[in-house]
Amino acid sequence: MANLLWLQGGACSGNTMSFLNAESPSACDLVTDFGINILWHPSLGMELGDGLQELLNDLVSGRKKLDIFVFEGTVINAPDGTGTWNRFAGKPMKEWVQKLAAVAHYVVAIGDCATWGGIPAMAPNPTESQGLQFLKKANGGFLGSSYRSGSGLPVINIPGCPAHPDWVTQILVAVAEGRAGDITLDELQRPKTFFQSFTQIGCTRNMFYAYKTSATQFGQRRGCLFFDLGCRGPMTHSPCNRILWNNQTSKTRAGMPCIGCTEPEFPFYDLAPGTVFKTSTFLGVPKDLPTGVEQMGYVKLGQAAKANAPAWTEEDIFV
Amino acid sequence: MSSRKEEDDALRAKIFHLLTDGELKTTLSPIPEDDQQFEQILRELRDVETSAPDELEQKLVISGFAPKPVNEQQCFECMYYMVHRKYCELPELMVPVEAEWWCRLWRI
Repeated sequence: MANLLWLQGGACSGNTMSFLNAESPSACDLVTDFGINILWHPSLGMELGDGLQELLNDLVSGRKKLDIFVFEGTVINAPDGTGTWNRFAGKPMKEWVQKLAAVAHYVVAIGDCATWGGIPAMAPNPTESQGLQFLKKANGGFLGSSYRSGSGLPVINIPGCPAHPDWVTQILVAVAEGRAGDITLDELQRPKTFFQSFTQIGCTRNMFYAYKTSATQFGQRRGCLFFDLGCRGPMTHSPCNRILWNNQTSKTRAGMPCIGCTEPEFPFYDLAPGTVFKTSTFLGVPKDLPTGVEQMGYVKLGQAAKANAPAWTEEDIFV
Repeated sequence: MSSRKEEDDALRAKIFHLLTDGELKTTLSPIPEDDQQFEQILRELRDVETSAPDELEQKLVISGFAPKPVNEQQCFECMYYMVHRKYCELPELMVPVEAEWWCRLWRI
């Protein structure tokens, strides 16, 4: 039996909503089939007031074992580093995070806010928000770059806005079953099994990308969303088109561009007007090219693709 | 009833005539450098009254149409260009074009 505690800092609860929709395995499966004892969760926990404080104090003191500490949302430091804008169970949440991370065998950050600060940490960052071990792309964050949990691992980052429910439950099962050694992390401490490949892999629009046929409106069934509508699928690391949402779809399959929410720079360009759902360009050439592609190669590839595009790329073939 | 191709051909010929007879002065510069400048031109295009008798001419002027390549750029490699239909699919324009034409909204 692995004890799991889930707390929320500066959060919208989106990752909790996502987690509760998990199917493979489900949140219930974690308890009934995989021996995870959910000590407390903001939407599931029964304890309140003194009872909750007693539980947290028991974990901090070691009277009760904390195997997995899950954190959702940013660590709020405002005002002036005190963290009192986010009080919880009698003290600033940041103090609980510090103490609980010190005794946890594993620490898992769920969602962009807990991993890199997400939207709350955008300039001017009025809540002085940080991710657990990153602030945007900079390693460090609230716990510091040298932090290691009791297992010897750094914080395991499962980003996304929200994270896909099955990424969450599958990692929690792996950790709870003692298979954490199988989880190799990338340089941003994301499990490679989910975040090594690109969102574009598995996208049903790949043939339109290949022939450089652009979608110019949301929901348009024909065309690739990268060229005009700002899709970040070719440079975002996630399995959104392999592990589908609700087991059946993804943003790009539904005709909406990927917004790159599993990357620490999200939201890109600080949401400046004209940069959201629009491919950001300089003199007509995208500023952000698919990972590993040079500008000259991109232009030449585009010319060759256009020259050889079959007629069906201009038709709606999904009838 | 004329086919879409016949309609496209007729409109393309009309645009070519407008661009080459010397009367229509299109806005060839400034070329938008970034998204804000690009968006500004799109906004101007959206403001064009669809019922205006000179709607087509206004669109050509604002977008800076040229019947030839500019800076070694041409419609052919632009993302909005449909190769087989020879058509610009930028929602604010939606006009038949030739592969070797150009406008300020060129994007690759």
